[in-house]
Amino acid sequence: MSINLEREKVTLPLEEVVQTKTTMLTKVLYGGMVVSMLAAFYFIFLYAEIEKTMGVVQKIFYMHVPSAWVAFLAFFVTFVFSILFLIKRKRIYDTYAYVSAEIGVVFTTIVLTTGPIWAKSSWNTWWAWEPRLTTTLILFFLYMAYLMVRQMDGVWDKKARLAAVFGIIGFADVPIVFFAIRWWQSKFHPIVFGDGPSQQGGGIAPSMLVALLVAITAFTFLYAYLLHKGVSFENMKIKVGHYKEKLRERLEH
Amino acid sequence: MGFMYAAYSIVWVIIFGYMLLIGKRHSSLKKDIEFLKQLDK
Amino acid sequence: MLRTALTIAKKDIYSELRTKQVLGTMIIFAGLVILVLSFAFDPANNTTKAVIPGAVWIIIVFSGILGLNRSLVSEQRNDTMHGLLVAPMDASSIYLGKFMANFSMILIVEIVSIPFLFLLFDFKMNSSIFYFILVLFVGSFGFIAIGTFLAALASNSKSSEMLLPLLLFPMTSPVLIGVTQATKIILINMEKLPNAIAWMQLVAAYDVIFFVLCFLLIEYVLEV
Repeated sequence: MSINLEREKVTLPLEEVVQTKTTMLTKVLYGGMVVSMLAAFYFIFLYAEIEKTMGVVQKIFYMHVPSAWVAFLAFFVTFVFSILFLIKRKRIYDTYAYVSAEIGVVFTTIVLTTGPIWAKSSWNTWWAWEPRLTTTLILFFLYMAYLMVRQMDGVWDKKARLAAVFGIIGFADVPIVFFAIRWWQSKFHPIVFGDGPSQQGGGIAPSMLVALLVAITAFTFLYAYLLHKGVSFENMKIKVGHYKEKLRERLEH
Repeated sequence: MGFMYAAYSIVWVIIFGYMLLIGKRHSSLKKDIEFLKQLDK
Repeated sequence: MLRTALTIAKKDIYSELRTKQVLGTMIIFAGLVILVLSFAFDPANNTTKAVIPGAVWIIIVFSGILGLNRSLVSEQRNDTMHGLLVAPMDASSIYLGKFMANFSMILIVEIVSIPFLFLLFDFKMNSSIFYFILVLFVGSFGFIAIGTFLAALASNSKSSEMLLPLLLFPMTSPVLIGVTQATKIILINMEKLPNAIAWMQLVAAYDVIFFVLCFLLIEYVLEV
């Protein structure tokens, strides 16, 4: 049924598909990303003071926390676009949800690799079953599963529908997971890991906060840029698919 | 110190790896388009 | 809606009782899990007591996944899913019916296999059986509720047997954490009962949230 629907759509001529037009938005996002990333490096290494107890290693913080923020943002975007897709049933929403989830998995991977490195240097253990780390791990598995749902065979609208449903439940699961793990852990590690350096509980120096905010801005720009690029690529792929379909029909007749 | 370098390099390896992956997909799609163009003639 | 759900549940249970295929497999599988656990943890050793609460849930989760897979895949394979969908009822009553069938199946498996586990590992239960049953009920409810939903989702894929565990385990992790903690407290140190009750409340909250969510979203999963 859906295949017929797709066929009815007017497929654009190939020339129009091929030309990768650099729009204003792409330029803005790219420029913003580069500038803010350079600024972030300046603030991280030259502006922010060096932490007293942990030393230079603390600078991992400026990559770790923004990545975590971007990952959560990406999954939230997936959640929002999943809902929008189920309501409006437009393919563009599904594309956004997919690309955002993929970027989210990439940034979760960053969190999960920098986390243990930091843990090793400051807690002298690679992995602690600390609420934040464990939640991130479960998040990683959840969104890997989301990407697996997308790999399913079948027509796109079925996949999109199922993935949207999974995206909604998966995101609803996240706070409960975090809460459950926090509660679970507080019984075993009362203070030692509960108040780890990733928490800003102890209060951080203003210069560090500035560096962190700049890093977060830079990573958000990076996310926006990747999302934009990914979505325009997916759109191009869809158009090529339509074109292929049309060409096949013509060759058959 | 070494830990910091390790972490920073891993971060950028992952980010650039992902960008590379996108680029690869892009070039394979380009190849597809070229093929379709040939077919269209 | 409840009536149609009951009809579906009855249909499933009748057809299951005729062949006893899935239920038999689940129970035998549970027995095999107990066997493997006995290799891993020496039953003669006294410290093994500590792993019994976890073992209970390992059995339920792994045999549960077998049953969940079958319940929706068999409909898909025999092409009766379309029959169900065109029948005059909501998608949510199909979900409810499937849920009830799966839930009663897992309860049967629990009734058979958990006494076996205690028997074979020589575990003397000297705590409140009421709370133990309660925690089993709450945990199985959540696991099966979300499991049935995700099985319906995964049954659209050709490799749903492989997909379902990947979807189900991360999603149910709060239930599994809560319920293993509560079971541990109930079976080993009863003094901390308030903690166990708090855990059960958490799991119950999860059950309610996800049951409602699954109810609302199932019509998108079971669309033609």
